[in-house]
Amino acid sequence: MLEIKELGVSQPGTDAKEIIIAVSPAFGTGLTQSITDEPLENILKELCAGIEEEGMNYRFVKVYNSTDLGIITSQGSKLAGSGICVAMQSRGTTVIHQRDLVPLDNLELFPQSPLITLDMYRTIGKNTAKYGKGEHPEPVEILNDYMVPSKFLIKSTLMHFKEGKCADREMAPIDLEVKF
Amino acid sequence: MKKYVAGVDIGNASTETALGLIENNQLVECVSGIANTSGIKGTYDNIKGIEKSLKDAAKKMGIEVSDIDLIRINEATPVIGDFAMETITETIITESTLIGHNPDTPGGIGLGIGETIRLQDIGKAEKDKAYIVVVNEEIDFVDAAKMINAALEEGVDITGAILKKDDGVLVNNRITKVIPILDEVASIDRVPIGMPCAVEVADAGACIEFLSNPYGIATVFGLNASETKQIVHIAKALIGNRSAVVIKTPAGEVKERKIPAGEIILHKRGREYNARVDRGSKEIMDVVRKVKDIEDVTGTKGTNVGGMLEKVRKQMADLTEQDYNTVFIKDIMAVDTIVPKEVQGNLAKEFSMEKAVGIAAMVKTEKLHMRRLADAVSAKLGVEVEIGGVEGSMAVRGALTTPGTEKPILVLDIGAGSTDACLLNAKNESRPVHLAGAGHMVTMLINAELGLNDVKLAEDIKKYPLAKVESLYHIRHEDGSVQFFEDAIDSKLFARTIVVKPTGWKPIKTKQNMEKIRAVRREAKEKVLISNIIRALEKVSLSGNITEFEHVVLVGGSSLDFELGNMVTDALAYYGIVSGKANVRKTEGPRNAVATGLLLSYLEELENGR
Repeated sequence: MLEIKELGVSQPGTDAKEIIIAVSPAFGTGLTQSITDEPLENILKELCAGIEEEGMNYRFVKVYNSTDLGIITSQGSKLAGSGICVAMQSRGTTVIHQRDLVPLDNLELFPQSPLITLDMYRTIGKNTAKYGKGEHPEPVEILNDYMVPSKFLIKSTLMHFKEGKCADREMAPIDLEVKF
Repeated sequence: MKKYVAGVDIGNASTETALGLIENNQLVECVSGIANTSGIKGTYDNIKGIEKSLKDAAKKMGIEVSDIDLIRINEATPVIGDFAMETITETIITESTLIGHNPDTPGGIGLGIGETIRLQDIGKAEKDKAYIVVVNEEIDFVDAAKMINAALEEGVDITGAILKKDDGVLVNNRITKVIPILDEVASIDRVPIGMPCAVEVADAGACIEFLSNPYGIATVFGLNASETKQIVHIAKALIGNRSAVVIKTPAGEVKERKIPAGEIILHKRGREYNARVDRGSKEIMDVVRKVKDIEDVTGTKGTNVGGMLEKVRKQMADLTEQDYNTVFIKDIMAVDTIVPKEVQGNLAKEFSMEKAVGIAAMVKTEKLHMRRLADAVSAKLGVEVEIGGVEGSMAVRGALTTPGTEKPILVLDIGAGSTDACLLNAKNESRPVHLAGAGHMVTMLINAELGLNDVKLAEDIKKYPLAKVESLYHIRHEDGSVQFFEDAIDSKLFARTIVVKPTGWKPIKTKQNMEKIRAVRREAKEKVLISNIIRALEKVSLSGNITEFEHVVLVGGSSLDFELGNMVTDALAYYGIVSGKANVRKTEGPRNAVATGLLLSYLEELENGR
């Protein structure tokens, strides 16, 4: 089970080892499973394991004022001590971002969420940590299936709608305590 | 009497023109033109490039191409080179002696010695024995940590762990005792169970000390002197690793095997001189030096060397429309190198740096069909075209226009396939030499030693300096200097080592750091280019003593290399030789030497009563 506790308004980190894992408004509350019905705790476990294996620390932040992954990760990266953020929408779409980049630019983007496997989440976590260390990892191979967007169109629209319902334009990013 | 004369040099990469206005046998004005060579040198395809290059020059002079009275093209030295690499050692692991595994992030620290046991079977462990647990992919890192903790609590002596997945740090962070943990062992099912085993992990940034020492391994497994002798290769393979495992199996061993790589046979006046490739480059080059004027070179059939030598021969035969059997290889050059190769019988895709020999060959034939090309150009442009002279001696004449040079002078042209040198002595006699091994060989060495499998990238690494993108607003150049930028750098280049090309940056996809890439690049240039320059000097020198030269001038495209000029100056200063890049006609740098030479030799001919 995924347990989420909100701690308060998030402040920029000072630890150079710190990676921010930024999540979307409905993550773990409105939505607890990804678009492929994978429990979100399984995804987080792999992502965190990847970061920990590389010797970096992580902090969870929930961004409430946008459902756009580019905006979420941009805010997350500005809070990260290392300047690197991996952001995720509840449906599983993931991006790795560095704070000097403009919001829609990225280090690595994984757009077709139904195709991301747990092994890939582990590698995404690993690569995020490596960027944090200033290393240059080989980008994670992205799978592409042109049927996916149409096949999951309705489900992803509904999930995004739910994200929107949980969003709050006035709210600053909140630190999270996550247990899984 | 006004006369426009153009010297045109058709090179492998560019076609260069020197256009001169001659009045009363005196050169009044001179301009240059340049265009890319179209097609393979010496074929009709070149005409387009020649025309373009002439137009470029004519425009600067303010005339039309048809106003030119005479075009002189060079007698191209028909030289072609190729390169092959032969690995001469391979590391083989028989049975299951796991060696030299070097994952990025092992867990824990220290040296653990014990018997291998599956983590699932830890319940069956005896109390008075030490164990190394073997964990396959079925067990998650959280469960693995729990099981190890439980066993430790029960008093089982676990001294180390071997994991299949990349979980080393994760398990280490969750267990109560610090033990060395080695992860990412892909073929974990081949790790023998119930065998004595040693696992060593060093601190970050350090190397293992115990298992990379033959006596260390002997201590662990209680080996006698003759057994210790057999495990030297294991210890050798582990040097420089951050982590390692050694397992003693009854019949297992690691050995370095020499691959039969064939022989190179040098022919001279009916005699044969043999050099074995697997003995390394020194022996081959000793034989080459001894034989001096090689008549032909062949290789053992069925080996890489044999195939490569025949390929060069065939290419040249096709190009010159000559009989295959009358094409002879006139020079070879060999260099030692090391290439990463997967270890035979490995458990986790270990690589071992194997010895290899790179061999370049050079073929010379009678003539390319330049006369034919000259007639075709003449027909196309309506201008008289003649063959001016041999490339080498023309280059010398052009290079002599460099301020600060005098006869005797040696001109070096390092091309892609061959290194050409030409000596002009005080009596105006020239002596050309052509040697195998040049730019292409350097590219191949860089490609192989860094394990890139990308020739284009290797070519870029050869040509341009490196830098590391440290943030999106600054890069650190290979000399340590930092450059800042106003606009953000492309996010795809973040944290990467890049090649700084004038046309843009290119990321290098390799794990090796910038210092290593730079060292490989410089070493390759040193091994091939610098030693070839010295070889060229030895060949043209009558006494064999290269200190007799005073001036060595570099011409041609490759002398535009950003560091070669300085490397040559540095190397030859040792022999008291003045060397450096040419500056043709005080303005052209190392370019346009041959074209200028063609023009100047026309003036010489006029003086001698043409």
